[in-house]
Amino acid sequence: MGKYIGIRLAHALVVLAIVVVLVFVIARLIPGDAIMAAMAGSVDLHDPSVVAKVRHQYGLDQPIFVQFAVWLGRFVRGDWGTSIGTGERVLDMFARRLPVTLELFLGATVWSIAVGIPAGIIGALKRNSTLDMAVTAGAMVGVSVPAFWEAIVLIYLFAVLLPVFPPSGYVPLSDGWLANLRAMVLPTFVLGTHSGGLLARYVRSSLLEVLGQDFIRTARAKGFSETAVIVKHALKPSMIPVVTVIGLSWGGLLAGAFFVEVIFAIPGLGRMSVEAIFQKDYPVMQATLIVVSLNVLLVNVLVDILYGYLDPRVRVRG
Amino acid sequence: MPDQPWAVWDKNAKPKRGGIFRVAAEQYIGKMNPNHWPVLDWISMGYMHERLMLTDGNYNPTVPWLAETLSWDGPQQVVMKLREGVTFHDGSAFDAKSVKFQIDWIRDPASKTWDAGWLAQLDTVEVVDEHTLRWKFKTPWAGFSGVIANVPGYVMSAKALQEDADKYDTQPQGTGPFILEEASPGNYLKFKRNPNWWFAKASNNPDMPYFDGIQVTIIPDPAVRLANLRAGKIDVLLLDKSQYAVAKADPDLKVYRFAMNHLAALRFNNTKGVFQDIRLRQAVSHAIDRKGLIAGTQFGLARLASCIYPEDHWCHNPNLKPVTYDPDLSKKLLAEAGYGSGLTVRGYYINTAMGQTIAEAVKGMLTKVGIDWQVDLMAPAALATRMQKMDYDLAQGGWIFIYDPDLMATGLYHPEGGFNFGRSKNDAAIALIEAGRKEVDPEKRRAIYWQLEEVLYNAYEDAWLWWEEIATAYRSNVEGWDHEGFLKYRDVWFWAHPLWFRDGKA
Repeated sequence: MGKYIGIRLAHALVVLAIVVVLVFVIARLIPGDAIMAAMAGSVDLHDPSVVAKVRHQYGLDQPIFVQFAVWLGRFVRGDWGTSIGTGERVLDMFARRLPVTLELFLGATVWSIAVGIPAGIIGALKRNSTLDMAVTAGAMVGVSVPAFWEAIVLIYLFAVLLPVFPPSGYVPLSDGWLANLRAMVLPTFVLGTHSGGLLARYVRSSLLEVLGQDFIRTARAKGFSETAVIVKHALKPSMIPVVTVIGLSWGGLLAGAFFVEVIFAIPGLGRMSVEAIFQKDYPVMQATLIVVSLNVLLVNVLVDILYGYLDPRVRVRG
Repeated sequence: MPDQPWAVWDKNAKPKRGGIFRVAAEQYIGKMNPNHWPVLDWISMGYMHERLMLTDGNYNPTVPWLAETLSWDGPQQVVMKLREGVTFHDGSAFDAKSVKFQIDWIRDPASKTWDAGWLAQLDTVEVVDEHTLRWKFKTPWAGFSGVIANVPGYVMSAKALQEDADKYDTQPQGTGPFILEEASPGNYLKFKRNPNWWFAKASNNPDMPYFDGIQVTIIPDPAVRLANLRAGKIDVLLLDKSQYAVAKADPDLKVYRFAMNHLAALRFNNTKGVFQDIRLRQAVSHAIDRKGLIAGTQFGLARLASCIYPEDHWCHNPNLKPVTYDPDLSKKLLAEAGYGSGLTVRGYYINTAMGQTIAEAVKGMLTKVGIDWQVDLMAPAALATRMQKMDYDLAQGGWIFIYDPDLMATGLYHPEGGFNFGRSKNDAAIALIEAGRKEVDPEKRRAIYWQLEEVLYNAYEDAWLWWEEIATAYRSNVEGWDHEGFLKYRDVWFWAHPLWFRDGKA
């Protein structure tokens, strides 16, 4: 198992190195001038000498390979630079925003698992029934509905018409868990909707496949109760594709967080990324993309490890 | 102070102290030293800082604020008397020494200020006595009061700058009605009431400012900002234009509409390509149905523009009328210029939803007269590069916040302008811009800008579309907004007449 994990981590490191170079080059291939873009939002900042001064300050007047070497050297030493858009230290921005986004991710994952897995199980066990059709339709809606539309509708329903939750904003846990929970219910639900729907579909089809296997028939023939057959024998093998979906969804959650954090005014990494991309804020853009890539890579390594746990044949081949 | 025309308070009003005023902002403020770039929220900046001079109802920087008087001693010297009894939030005194220190600090390259160039015409600033300064200029400098009514004139504590100037970016020490209490970058700003605000005493309104504090929450999405207002989570909102009708119909909101000093326009590349020919610039200008654009894309919230300065700006020439919508004339002009069978031009517009709508509407109008405008919708960064490289025939133009007339005139039409890049070279206009910078007599200066507008207008230098209007909605328990007073005196009225809650709480 140790060797298997080592190989997976080595693969991840190679991918990360490629990502680092690509991120730096692609960021600079996007048309436009970062300084002019950021200045366009400022008032009465029209002096070309000011532009040149700011460009020099951020090292953007250097050749691209020099910029890369300087940036990488500083990045690995923990100096992630200063945001062109806000003037803050990028590392400080991450330190403040990462926990917020992680909370959002965790909440969304909890929603998607809590809704998606039971819905999928019900759909599989009550195959072709009215309940199954309702669950399937619900899952399809969850997968198809655009996050920004769902968010706006829920805000008007549950914050304006029926003021149960706040329309937007983030309340840190340190300000009280109840206030934090109330603020996070709508955004986490919206973010978890897509992966919840997807999960329900995968659990249903995977469980149906497993329930048709010989060993399930054997278990039933041995006289195990239906609950024992499902919980002890069917669920674990049917979880392999489910783990894949959860792993992939984790990567996809950040794409969702781009919308959800902007709409719900949550000061997390997603909103920061959107603002950085629109402003061509290189330091923030680069750091964000690398952290996101690292996150996806680590989750995939974790998924690979879980495969090994769920199906020993995988780690033997690995 | 009470002798000022704007210093009129409603005697029947019963202001109450208390409550936290909750505001939504689209972006976090950035740095809180006004001279350190970037600053993205100037309203919040104004809660903490005050300026030496303010502009009047016609955007003329003639209203003394922290500078009590300002007298010209020839075209190259100004004697400034400062207000007494003003203290910074850190307890230090506002006096001639503190202003001199601040101005010298702004001009010091080590301070890395973005607006040092604005003070390029300043030679020295000398302390005459505790509350008097003498400003000496290298050349006659008509725009001086406009500059100190702008960024370099935001007064900052010299003590704080001396102790740690970098710290000022996050811990500002101004003289304003509110003191920064807490900042959560990207999330919110909290301000508390300044109990020692000089203006409360000077205006005989000791309870000013009436709110205990202000909370500015960052909400990027306009629909969610409106939802917050309607849910009672914020007390005021600068409306998106599309929200105007909805907000106006809401009985719980008080909605006010007012003109802004912003110009929307299309810019021509006058020195490269087909638009060197004035007939083609005229053809474009007459092909645009400005009234239709305002109704269809601005939800009616804009005024027809005739030239660069808005109709309520002190430099606007009232003799100029908006260019007429005349598609037949456009076709005739195109034919005369040799493009009777059609003209293809390239350009760009910003890729926001509103930008796309405007670009598509203009494109449709131009198509009707035989002009194919191949317009690219682009992000601000890409758009700025195209502008810099002069890679366009016809593109998005305009200006936001038109205060001192020279700033926009130079920016767009002078070779030194940061938004010209060689695309406009009208010698008569350039000569007038340079004359306007030196003329310190207000009436003579006004005449120069009237003439400048006329020159630009006759040359169809750009296609001016509209002057901006915006709308603000307050929750019904917010009191104190006198819309007529604001329209008459604008900047100074806004800062001199704080609001309050009807019941003293949010």
